[in-house]
Amino acid sequence: MTSVRERNESAWLLPNDGSRTNHRLRDDMRRFADSDTVDLVVVGCGAGGSTLIQRLARQGWRVLGLDAGPFWDPDADWVSDEAGSHHLYWTEPRVISGSDPVPMGSNNSGRGVGGSMVHYAGYTPRFHPSDFATWTTDGVGADWPISYEDLRPYYEDIEQELPVAGEDWPWGDPHTYPQRPHPVGGNGEIFLRGAYKSGITAKVGPVAISNGRFGNRPHCIYRGFCLQGCKVNAKASPLITHIPDALAHGAEIRANAMVTGIGFDEHTGRATGVHYIRRGVPRFQRAAAVAVAGYSIETPRLLLNSASRRFPDGMCNDFDQVGRYLMVQGAPQTAGRFDAEVRMYKSPPPEVSSEQFYETDPAKPYKRGFSLQTVSPLPITWAEHVAAQGHWGAKLRQYMSDYVHWSCLGALCEFLAQPENRVTLAEEKDRYGLPVANFAYSQCDNDKQLTRAAQHVMEQILHGAGADEVITIDRYAHLVGGARMAADERHGVVDRNCRSFAVPNLYITDGSVLPTQGSANPALTIMAVAARAAAHLEGNTHG
Amino acid sequence: MDRFPGFNVLDQVGHWDPVTAGVVLSRIGRLPDIRFFTPAEEAVATALCDRLLGQDGDQKIPVVPQIDARLAEQQTDGWRYADMPEDGQAWRDSLRFLDEDSQGDFAQASVADQRAVIQAVQDLGAKDWHGLNAAHVWSLWTRYACTAFYAHPAVWNEIGFPGPAYPRGYKHPGVDAREPFEVADTSPSDDPVARKER
Repeated sequence: MTSVRERNESAWLLPNDGSRTNHRLRDDMRRFADSDTVDLVVVGCGAGGSTLIQRLARQGWRVLGLDAGPFWDPDADWVSDEAGSHHLYWTEPRVISGSDPVPMGSNNSGRGVGGSMVHYAGYTPRFHPSDFATWTTDGVGADWPISYEDLRPYYEDIEQELPVAGEDWPWGDPHTYPQRPHPVGGNGEIFLRGAYKSGITAKVGPVAISNGRFGNRPHCIYRGFCLQGCKVNAKASPLITHIPDALAHGAEIRANAMVTGIGFDEHTGRATGVHYIRRGVPRFQRAAAVAVAGYSIETPRLLLNSASRRFPDGMCNDFDQVGRYLMVQGAPQTAGRFDAEVRMYKSPPPEVSSEQFYETDPAKPYKRGFSLQTVSPLPITWAEHVAAQGHWGAKLRQYMSDYVHWSCLGALCEFLAQPENRVTLAEEKDRYGLPVANFAYSQCDNDKQLTRAAQHVMEQILHGAGADEVITIDRYAHLVGGARMAADERHGVVDRNCRSFAVPNLYITDGSVLPTQGSANPALTIMAVAARAAAHLEGNTHG
Repeated sequence: MDRFPGFNVLDQVGHWDPVTAGVVLSRIGRLPDIRFFTPAEEAVATALCDRLLGQDGDQKIPVVPQIDARLAEQQTDGWRYADMPEDGQAWRDSLRFLDEDSQGDFAQASVADQRAVIQAVQDLGAKDWHGLNAAHVWSLWTRYACTAFYAHPAVWNEIGFPGPAYPRGYKHPGVDAREPFEVADTSPSDDPVARKER
């Protein structure tokens, strides 16, 4: 692991005394003035933003990261409790519309340093090579302007930095993981047993939860609250995997700073910095280059809210591409009832997965596929499952009292990118006076077929494991797209290196640049894409 | 309905980290004052939530003060349906419509009548209810009610869930494995759906 430490010392910069935050590192952090022209200002300190900040700070760049939310301290700010974790989610107003509206908040939107990886489950699968050319191979979705091979070295780097634990991976581009798979709990046991009975291959992992000590990060304690922020520092998020190293190399993280617009010089056609509001005061940070990493809703919203004479319909929106092709994965969850006690809350929700159904099956009427994973809802989320069956009153209580007997699996279905699934500006304004995002989403026929196919397989697995009853809730997971990379400016917002087509010193380095989503949780790919963009900025691309 | 006799989540409070303990214990302490709902709205909301959560006896876990606090602080789930007003207004409107469906006084109606009015809303599915999408109203009610209710330690006792687990964690995961402080279900074959219904 010495090579990891030489590239990224974050895990060794955390305390080893049982506390989780290096306060000294934060107190001594370099601080820029608004009037300093930093080399790069990054909007958003989640998966994409933090990776970029860390990489460029290491190269000696003067980098500043702004985040609308807090600079979290897991000891003081996070709790081992579901309802008490509400503040981890982006809960500023947003409007959802379309024929199949997608709930936001806890479902897919983080805030604060670490971003959505603070509350993601921890699954970090790679995309498959096929994901980069679905238009050519399947006639759906889009082709990326880069290939899997372009991203592979960055996948390998990030997997070591998180680090990822899992069995040898047989799907997509077969590969191994730096850490051994975790032991599984009741829910993982059920999945493995049911998959075996059904002739389906399932594997333990891949999860970015340290299996053993990593630097000063301790071993997972299997407390089951991964989605509420890891108080242990075992589950990877950029707050502990990239930000400490960035600070040690002279980056500044300015939290609680809501960026409201991108500065633009009409004469040079270049970005000049960012407008932001901190403690109620409107300010402007000068920068030689700007990277936006606010994720698939806030990134398009910021561009649309950054109109100028040159860009009357929003920055980089010459060809009406901003906000379009936003994707979510269909994520039906099927639960099975066992007379035995499963107590699925007693391990990390991410345990076991299968990518056997990931690729297009020529025998099926639909294109592309889905992956299957354990999910282990805690009581409030489980109550949503039960209420979704139509139960209320005494029936709801009776069902809920049966919680310890249920096992729950989730699918990630590759819903296809469509131009009308997009962010626009609503009439409603937020507390800063900015129009909020309206996210319209409608499913196509292929999407609906995938959902039912995935449900069928999950039911088969649970029955195979001995479930006597199964229930399913239809939901969504993850966000990507909204400012996609493309071969040219008529088909996307940024080029293969995440540089915007319209403004030469403006970059987008988050999930919104992804042209397709596969059936993989996106965090690892977002980090890999940002690391690749950073290498391009350094003038130092792998291979 | 005591399936986990003797199980008491709060017996373990000494093993919780202090920040979490503070958050959870606040739910059994003094309730927040009502700030958002008018007294009339509070009465309707209380009756509605008690019916939704099957709180028909004397022992009741209060949930309306928590819902009221969230609405007063605009602590939403971070989204609203385009065809619904913001959550606070949607709560006010829907409580008023419940009154309208109950000869003007939902809170004073009999429990059976309240249930019938609620059932009628659910039966509408995604159809129109006083100008709102009934399914979106149902989602609003159940999300807020279930979040408040299943956050309460007394309710965790009812479902066998031990609550916070930091810094202790779990040592005995796996099917039919229990920690020393977990209590086995006394009716493991008591499937909530009676066999004949299937």
